Amino acid sequence: MNRRGFLASVSVVTLAAGLGLAGGYSARASEPEAVFALGSAEIGAPHHDPIRATLLSTVATLIYDRLIEQDVDQSYHPHLAESWENSPDGMNWTFKLRQGVRFHDGEPFNAATIAWWIPKFKGSPNEYLVDAVDRVELVDDYTVRFIMKRAEPNLIYNLASSFMGIPSPKAYDAAGDNFGVTEAVGTGPYKLESFAVGQETVLVANEDYSWGSDLSDNKGAPHIKRLTLREIPDASTAFLELKTGGVGLLLGVPDQFLPQLQAEETLDFRSLPGFGITYLAFNTRAEPFGDAAVRQATALAVDQGAILKSVFNGVGLEAHQFLISTLVESKIDPKLEIHHDLAKANELLDKAGWQRGDDGIRVKDGKPLKIKLTAQSETAIKRTAEIVQAQLKAIGMVVEIDIFDSTTVVDQLKKGQHQLAVRQYGWNNADILDWFFSTTNIPYPNSSGWQDEKSQELRNVAMQQSKTLDERVANFRKYQENLIGNFLFVPIHEPVQNYAFNKTLLEVPEKLRGTQLVQATTVDIKVVG
Amino acid sequence: MIKHRALALLKAVSTFKGGISGAFLLLLVIGALFAPWLSPYPYDQQDLGIMNQAPSLTHLFGTDEFGRDVLSRMITGARTSLSVSVTAIGISVLLGLVLGATCGYFGGTFDRIVMTVIDLTWSFPEILIALMLVAIIGPGLEGVVIAIAIAYLAQFTRLTRTQIMSLKSETYVEATISLGAGHAHVLFSHLLPNALAPVLVAAMLATGDAIILEATLGFFGLGAQPPTPSWGAMMSSGTAQLFIAPWVILLPGLAVALTVVFLNLFGDAVIAALDVRAKFREA
Repeated sequence: MNRRGFLASVSVVTLAAGLGLAGGYSARASEPEAVFALGSAEIGAPHHDPIRATLLSTVATLIYDRLIEQDVDQSYHPHLAESWENSPDGMNWTFKLRQGVRFHDGEPFNAATIAWWIPKFKGSPNEYLVDAVDRVELVDDYTVRFIMKRAEPNLIYNLASSFMGIPSPKAYDAAGDNFGVTEAVGTGPYKLESFAVGQETVLVANEDYSWGSDLSDNKGAPHIKRLTLREIPDASTAFLELKTGGVGLLLGVPDQFLPQLQAEETLDFRSLPGFGITYLAFNTRAEPFGDAAVRQATALAVDQGAILKSVFNGVGLEAHQFLISTLVESKIDPKLEIHHDLAKANELLDKAGWQRGDDGIRVKDGKPLKIKLTAQSETAIKRTAEIVQAQLKAIGMVVEIDIFDSTTVVDQLKKGQHQLAVRQYGWNNADILDWFFSTTNIPYPNSSGWQDEKSQELRNVAMQQSKTLDERVANFRKYQENLIGNFLFVPIHEPVQNYAFNKTLLEVPEKLRGTQLVQATTVDIKVVG
Repeated sequence: MIKHRALALLKAVSTFKGGISGAFLLLLVIGALFAPWLSPYPYDQQDLGIMNQAPSLTHLFGTDEFGRDVLSRMITGARTSLSVSVTAIGISVLLGLVLGATCGYFGGTFDRIVMTVIDLTWSFPEILIALMLVAIIGPGLEGVVIAIAIAYLAQFTRLTRTQIMSLKSETYVEATISLGAGHAHVLFSHLLPNALAPVLVAAMLATGDAIILEATLGFFGLGAQPPTPSWGAMMSSGTAQLFIAPWVILLPGLAVALTVVFLNLFGDAVIAALDVRAKFREA
């Protein structure tokens, strides 16, 4: 073939490809589709198998349904379980299941599904979710009873977790290790079309869906017929994609983007209350923080209001105790809450024998009050560290900031090499206190190194001896009151969760439901036009 | 020799290019040396009431996300950038001269071993070597100085070695040796003084690169730790409010760019004045 002939044939091929593409595009444009970008915390899930996952994204909540849904105020609502009952001694739970529910592969959902499902957790990383369950009894086709090893009022919270989305037994056993990768079958409003690890998941609407939960207005098939969930690690890139229309909705927007969001006419955002706390973590095994007076002075020197205003642009709430404010366990004795009080902080250090030198720095036994503050390189955390550095200078404490990537920070915490660290957690249950402060979790996640008989006793009561939810709430309040009285942490900020969307592409309900923007709200989102 | 150099410097400064760039660099050095006295505000003084304010008469370069004065931080940042890059290149030149001269003069197995190692580091981009070294040494200015010094070592070692090797075969050197001069005398009195000029010019140009490298490492959060400012670290924290307070990222960026441009211009002027290229041609 001569050169001209080659060029001609190439252009024919190009033209054909172009026509083909255009044809495909117009055929698809008739059905509403949308692209979401996953939040940074949910990026990198290797599969969508809820039973053996340690990280799940919003995708899992769209493919699978749960027995129970949790709303924004942390209240529980029926979904695949129509109702439930816990016996007064807490030793058995009875669930009435919804009828007429089918998996994507046509298999029916019933009591036998649950009897197959619960034992599947044995040996998985999520075994703890059901380890209080001794066995599952079938009462009838649509009623099951969990016989418990011990009373566990928190079971209801576990059942609302995204790790307890229910997969199809038949597909699960057939696919083996491929389940959640090449194939993911649930009863949810979306079916898996394709999944490329670390890149994107494509979902198509389950047209047979008619069992939406109370939290959604739309109980039937979702409005968006084809939904792509992309993984974009860089927040700025994701934001630009949203602005240019490549992405319709961001499932997570850092606070520092909010002013820009408000300035853009085509963009809008919705917020949900926080799902975690930003705080300072002490290492009680590293001086000077072995001394409760120094810890208390440090805590009182931190001005939560100033940090909220400058680092978080006034978005979110000041935190004065360790739990998110929507949890009833967070309502502790107000006298114990940690509030900014510079005069008292200075007085405490004076009494503890730390004398101010001529340069304003405190000294005790010839040693200056100089500490290291470990922080991650992420913008909000780094900025918090810089403000805390300036605030602690006011009580005569010299703070050196050490910035590391998150893996190195965790590594340092594990080895107990830190003195003070800016940390963030995301969890909507009071048992986070056990996670960070129980003796059994030393050296990590309890990097505070806190060992105290009284604290541990209160922890055991809260974790193992609560029979009902009310009892559990009371016990966890007492546990936190003990911890906060020992000044093991400095609560700083309770962020809100922000979700940004492009108004020209999507119509998002004013009020979001659920603890995060997941299934309940997604099925109500409409495509514009 | 020294007189000749001083004359060359004067000649360089008297040209238009050399004059302008020399004046800028002099200003920068003065700013860096007297930073604490020249800054209008303490560089770490936070004032959350005036966050992200645009340049005004009270804050000529505006304020950053903590209400700190950007001009004061840039002056102190100049101190960080200059001291790090000049120290690093200084160490690098000294080591390079010693290694290059020894290798070039004596040759043999020692030369081969050293040059293989040097070539190995030469084959990586400087930024990679620097990143790797800082990761090993740990963040902080000392680590950055060592990393930059090692990253540029190959350049100076090779340059010195080539110079020494070509000078070694000059008749006047052979004459000195035949008159019974020892190795030390030949190296220090005859070879090194003549090899120095191109190395010094290369050092000046490399200082510009080192400033960029320092800024890059600072941008990654590996250089100066807060609240100590460096141009790179200022730009890094400025990215988060690029659209709200662009001056926080633009002004330090401009400072880096101008400094590097003027260093290069000044280097060019010095090359012309010293007539290094003409010397290369003769050799």
